[in-house]
This record gives sequence, C-alpha cells and structure tokens, in this order.
Amino acid sequence: MSAPVKLMIVDDEPHLRSSLTFWFREEGYDVLSAGGGREALATLVREAPQILLVDIKMPGMDGLEVLRKVRETSPETTVIIMTAYASVETAIQALKDGAYDYIVKPFDPEAVSRLVKKAAERYTLLSENRELKARIAAAEPALITAGGGPMAHVLELVDQVAPTDTSVLVTGESGTGKELVAKLIHSRSPRRFGPLSVVNCGALSEGVLESELFGHEKGAFTGAAARRRGKVEVAHEGTLFLDEIGDVPPKVQVDLLRVLQEKQVTRVGGNQPIPVDFRLVTATHRDLEDEVAAGRFRQDFFFRIHVFVIELPPLRDRQADIPVLAQHFLGRFATAMNRRIGGFAPAALAAMTDYPWPGNVRELQNAIERAVVLCKGDTIEASHFPFSGPAPTAASLTLASAEEAHIRKILSTMGFNIAQAARALEIDRVTLYNKMRKFGIDRP
Amino acid sequence: MKVRLLHTADVSPGHVRSAFSGLAPPLVPGESLPHRGSFASFYDRARAQYDAFGVLETVPAPEPGWLNLLLLGADLFVPALTYVFGLSHLAGGRGILSVSRLKPPEENELSERVLVHRLRVEVAHELGHAAGLVHCAVNDCAMHRSLWPESVDLKNPEFCASCRARLPEAP
Ligand SMILES: [Zn+2]
Ligand SMILES: [Zn+2]
Repeated sequence: MSAPVKLMIVDDEPHLRSSLTFWFREEGYDVLSAGGGREALATLVREAPQILLVDIKMPGMDGLEVLRKVRETSPETTVIIMTAYASVETAIQALKDGAYDYIVKPFDPEAVSRLVKKAAERYTLLSENRELKARIAAAEPALITAGGGPMAHVLELVDQVAPTDTSVLVTGESGTGKELVAKLIHSRSPRRFGPLSVVNCGALSEGVLESELFGHEKGAFTGAAARRRGKVEVAHEGTLFLDEIGDVPPKVQVDLLRVLQEKQVTRVGGNQPIPVDFRLVTATHRDLEDEVAAGRFRQDFFFRIHVFVIELPPLRDRQADIPVLAQHFLGRFATAMNRRIGGFAPAALAAMTDYPWPGNVRELQNAIERAVVLCKGDTIEASHFPFSGPAPTAASLTLASAEEAHIRKILSTMGFNIAQAARALEIDRVTLYNKMRKFGIDRP
Repeated sequence: MKVRLLHTADVSPGHVRSAFSGLAPPLVPGESLPHRGSFASFYDRARAQYDAFGVLETVPAPEPGWLNLLLLGADLFVPALTYVFGLSHLAGGRGILSVSRLKPPEENELSERVLVHRLRVEVAHELGHAAGLVHCAVNDCAMHRSLWPESVDLKNPEFCASCRARLPEAP
C-alpha cells in the first residue's frame, strides 16, 4: 500500500486524543497526537503531518496561536479547528486566519469523517488512487460466459452505457442475472467509488416500500421511533438499483417520478427536501409495455426509466455458456463443501444442454449445488440432476404425466414397497394401487 | 481465525446465533459465552451512553489464532463523537459491537431481516479491525466505512478479495 495521509490530533485531553486516534486509524490514516501547542509544533517539524486537528482551547499556547505558527512555517498543512459550542465565534476567527474548517464537539462521526476525508483528498497520491481502482476492479462481479453469443452483445451494451449517467432498464426472465448486470454497470461507471443502493420492489407492501425508498422522520407514523434514511437518499453520489420495478404500485411510481424530476427526496413525514444525485438502473421480468397498456404502469414513469434497455437472453438461448457456467458453479460448491469433483460425465453435459432451464442461471446454480450434494464419486452424472432424459414435450407437460412420473420415481426409490411409497406420497395404499392401475404401472 | 462471541444478557440468544452462523470466511465460529466483565462504571449519566473505551477494556485479549468480540445492547460513545457502533483494538484481536443503533426504527415485515443483516455485516467489520484491517473502498465490502445504520444495508457480511487476502486463514 502507498503511504497513508498523516494526521495529528492536538488536544490537552488525553481521552479525546486516544479516541480520535482510534477512529482515524480505522480509516487508514497514519495518526499522531500531541498534548499541547509546543509539542505539536515540534512534531510538525519532525513528522510533517499533512492534516492537523487542533483544539481551540488549550492551556499555554491555544489553538489560534498554533494555527498562526503553522500557517507561517508550513503553509501547505491543513488545519482543522475543534471547538465547543461556547467558542464558535473564535472558530470563525480561525477561518479568517486560514483554518480549513472547524468542527463542534462532540462530533457527529459522519461529519468529522467527511471533513477529514475531503481535506485528505488534497494529499492523496496517484498511487493510492491506483490501489483504490485495483481493489474495486478485483471486486467487480464476474459475468460468466463462453465468449461470443448473445452475452457478448450484453457486455458491449454495458460498456457503452456504464460511463454515462443514462438511466438503464434491464429486462429478462427471472434468474437471468439482472442484478449482476446492474452491479457491473455501477462498478464500471465513474460512480463506482460511491454507493450502490439496491431495493427489491417486489414483495413489499406499499407502506414499507415507501419507507424503504424515501425514509421517514421520527413519528411519521405509529412505530416510526426514529429517523430513517431511505435507499434513495443513501444512493447519493452512487447508483440506485430498483429491482422488480414492474411491481411498484402506481402511487409510489408518482413519488419516484417526482424524485427523478426534481433530483431531491423528502422523507415520509418530513418537509425538508434533500438534494440527491444518483444514477438510476431498474430491472423487471415483466413486459412493461404490456403493463402500461393494461393500466398498471404509468406511461410517464415508463418513459422516464425506458431510456437505454439491456435485454438479457434466457439461458436456453445461450447454450454455449451452459458448460462454462456449470463448471464455474461446480468449482464454487465443491470448494465450499470440501469435495473433490473434477467435472461432468458426457451424459450429464448433454442433459444440461438439452434442458430448457425455465429458471435460468439461478436454476442451473441450484441444480449444480444439489448435484454436488448427491455426488459420491469425482464426476457429476446425469442421474444427479432432477431432470433426466430429453426435454419434456408438450404432451409430457400435463399434470397427469407429471403425477405418473413422480409416482414411478418414488416407487422405484422405495424398491416398490407400496406401504413406504404411499407414506412418502402422503396418500393411502388403496389410492396408490388405483393410481398404479390407472397409469399402467406394474410391480417389477 | 476462530471467533469467540461474548454477549451481555440484553442481546437475544437468537441474534447471537445469527451472528455466529453468518460468519464470513476466513472467520470460523469458535465459541459463544456470556460476558463476565462488568462495565457499569463506564456509564455516562449525562450522555446516557457507555464509554466504548472502558467497555473495550473489559474484553480479554485472545490467544493466538482467535478473535474476541463482545456483543452488547447498550449504546456506545467515545469522548469526541456522539456515538459509535463499535470499537476495536486495531490488530489487537478484540472488539465490541453495540446492537442498539443497528435496530431499524420501525417494526415491519423487513425489520428483523434488516437487523440480522446489519448485525452480521458489523460483526465482520469489527472482527476485521481486530484482525488488523482498515476501511476499504469497495462499497459492498464489510470493511467499508458505514456512517449511518442505513448504509450498513448496502454492504455484504463478507470481505472483498483484497481484504480477504490480508487476513490469515483459520488454523
Ligand atoms: Zn470501522
Ligand atoms: Zn474490502
């Protein structure tokens, strides 16, 4: 790691020095401290810290005097004044004398962190930025693909749109990886140093969704015991990702539209609009144009989010990716479960490529996890998958055929022990015999 | 690294279990015990909070390969700051974490899930400090600085690849 920014706390109160030392060390600063003005100036010469946090009221040399001496001898050093409420006027004098800023004790952790971070950015070296970028690049989610095919086009679109501030709508069936694409857009955008704020808008009641999105003030409704910041506010300087946007009720669509237009949010029960700056990414498995036509989705809101669309192909349309994805998940689950499984039998690979994967990548992932649990050897066999044989044809999709297949499977698992099979199926033996007769199932 | 979770009586057994079962690699559950130390003397009447430094000193230093974390219900401060979620001896193997500020302010179908998530993230965070990690720029890494409880929701209860690489594996 590159040399961290050096910070010195100057205060006559030892407890305060040590607590701030702890706090800023966790931030990764190199922290020094001094119990008074004279000691501070001596340390300044020796250690050359870039930022000084100086208490204004100290016995002997006070903070203002320290400030003036520092300005004379080391003008490139940043001085932040710490003060109690009683001496705010003196603090304002300090600003006139060249202090960077002042902060009132006891500090809000958020305020002091921000302030010092802002000051430190002036000293952050190029190499440190490089380290930050490397960390973020290492954390980028991986979109697994064999290369080429429809996913290559998706990645092209991601790279096109990520550097801009354009709103993106990601569409595709459930389980195709829409959240992954949203993460990728964020981590390749200039906002990657900011937050990625995610809300899954499906499955939340209207009131809870409002509170999630916009936050609320203390006492806004019964049970709102304290202020809560919403996901929109928390997305400031980053990306807001609204998953299942097609499930947002019309009233909340109106509120979201207003936030997008005015670029500010008001907490529920509050009256103070808070400016917010975020990039919007949305996703849905629904056909929003159908939803608009059906009157469930507002057209004005639709136009606002339907700017740049990335459509994710279902897994059955990217067959070349299936073996690569399967191998990736196999590696992950085998490691997690401490198993040595090298790969797939040819029949297992064939079964996977033939299967239509209605639940897409998520279903594939679950199938591999299950197969790793069942597998006793070092190769995954076709029999480790819940689907075996060719993809079901329309005729085999009927409830009756599913029932027949299930009964056959249970019977063979139980060695055609009727009593056991009936218990497993939670039906009585007579019913099971009747069903066997109906489907023409004979005991071997 | 093995984790010993100490807890006070005002932290529910369910939350202790959730914190334990959610430990991210390379952290592994060791044991969980009621906290024996008393920190009543570190209560600050005027602030109605406990001095985090005093409380931290009641946590014993662990043996090599272990990390000790105290989970408590009481609200914490350090002299310069209005509150802290937790505090650790950087690379000193021990830390404390208060559940009180992590609790969402309202009761709804999400509250419990949110609390458990925050608990797991901040447990990883304080243990990361105790193991020597400083804050991380990766915004969903457990070691990312959270200034608000709401921003804890954006993090994963796991370490990013860079942080993970700086932590020793469990023996
Ligand atoms: Zn921290
Ligand atoms: Zn990290």
